[in-house]
Amino acid sequence: SGAACARGLLSWARPERWLAAGGLFPLSCIHTSTSLQKIGRWEKKNRIVYPPQLPGEPRRPAEIYHCRREIKYSKDKMWYLAKLIKGMSIDQALAQLEFSDKKGAKVIKEVLLEAQEMAVRNHNVEFKSNLHIAESQTGRGRYVKRVRCHGKGMFGMMRISRCHYFVKLVEGPPPPPEPPKTGFEQAKEYVQQLRSRTLVHTL
Amino acid sequence: MAVLVLVRSPLLRLRAVLQRCWGRLERGLWPDVFGVQSPPWGPALAVQGPALVPQGMDDAGRSSAGAPSLLEGIVWMAAPKQRRTIEVNRCRRRHPTKLIEVKRNIDVCPECGNLKQKHILCGYCYAKVKEETRLIRMEIYKKEGGPFNAPAAETVVLYEGEKPTEKDEGKRIIERARKRPSWFVQN
Repeated sequence: SGAACARGLLSWARPERWLAAGGLFPLSCIHTSTSLQKIGRWEKKNRIVYPPQLPGEPRRPAEIYHCRREIKYSKDKMWYLAKLIKGMSIDQALAQLEFSDKKGAKVIKEVLLEAQEMAVRNHNVEFKSNLHIAESQTGRGRYVKRVRCHGKGMFGMMRISRCHYFVKLVEGPPPPPEPPKTGFEQAKEYVQQLRSRTLVHTL
Repeated sequence: MAVLVLVRSPLLRLRAVLQRCWGRLERGLWPDVFGVQSPPWGPALAVQGPALVPQGMDDAGRSSAGAPSLLEGIVWMAAPKQRRTIEVNRCRRRHPTKLIEVKRNIDVCPECGNLKQKHILCGYCYAKVKEETRLIRMEIYKKEGGPFNAPAAETVVLYEGEKPTEKDEGKRIIERARKRPSWFVQN
């Protein structure tokens, strides 16, 4: 029973878990990185590792995900800038943002330059100009309510809005823009839709 | 107008009812002659808005086109009738006229290689010139020693290794301890 007691007491100490897989240095139970702050989904997208490509496959273009959180700007106003640079090459996007008068343009420019640098350093991109913007989105950040003083002792509640900005750079030239749909195309589609109708829930 | 009502005794109940009706009619038509002097009518609680107490009972002969009532004095403000759905809002916010236009007047500056707009000076070159001007002005301030000491003669800026020529006879010379920049052409 003494042996069983000792086993029970020491069951929490498992020697095989004291060392890491390499077997040289002991593991530390202290968190060294900032793991209390939640790592967002967009940041985790950079961590996916694909299996090595087979010799015959076409080369998979590099994808770089970058974002900035809690920018002091409105998400609706930021959306216009995100829509502007969607689908452009990175040089064209930087040029457009440099001469834009909006406050968010400066922030997005910084984010793009950071992402470009990350691409060249970590993601094995050869030419920093050979990138284009595949996705650029805005998200809602944390809103805070504050008192806004009016005259005659009146007050209203105002909202301090923040936003996030997400961007995905892909290696390669930007895809050609889609030609606008002609009327003939739309008519053909409509006729096709009418022709493909069948009877539903019948024998 | 006096009306004599002669009713036989077998119709006693009908006579009583008719008498009561007549009495009420008399009191209504001539209130000051018959019946009790009733206090003037009026609403006990003054409320603004559509008429809660019918006011026409007081003056039976009042015409409809008299003094304007409370209803004509109100100014109705415009207010939305229905909530605008998010689909309708999106159509308005994302209309092509509201989107930011792509600028087509961006070029490369031939001097420094930075981007510049066609009708605007290059920002980098302008900043360079501004900085050099600031240093020259500091030298001028050191020479003058205070405000309002500007001489009546012209000023010439000379860089390292430059001597004043015959043209710079009566002019004030400011010296800068650096090589002459390529964009500052010497006369």
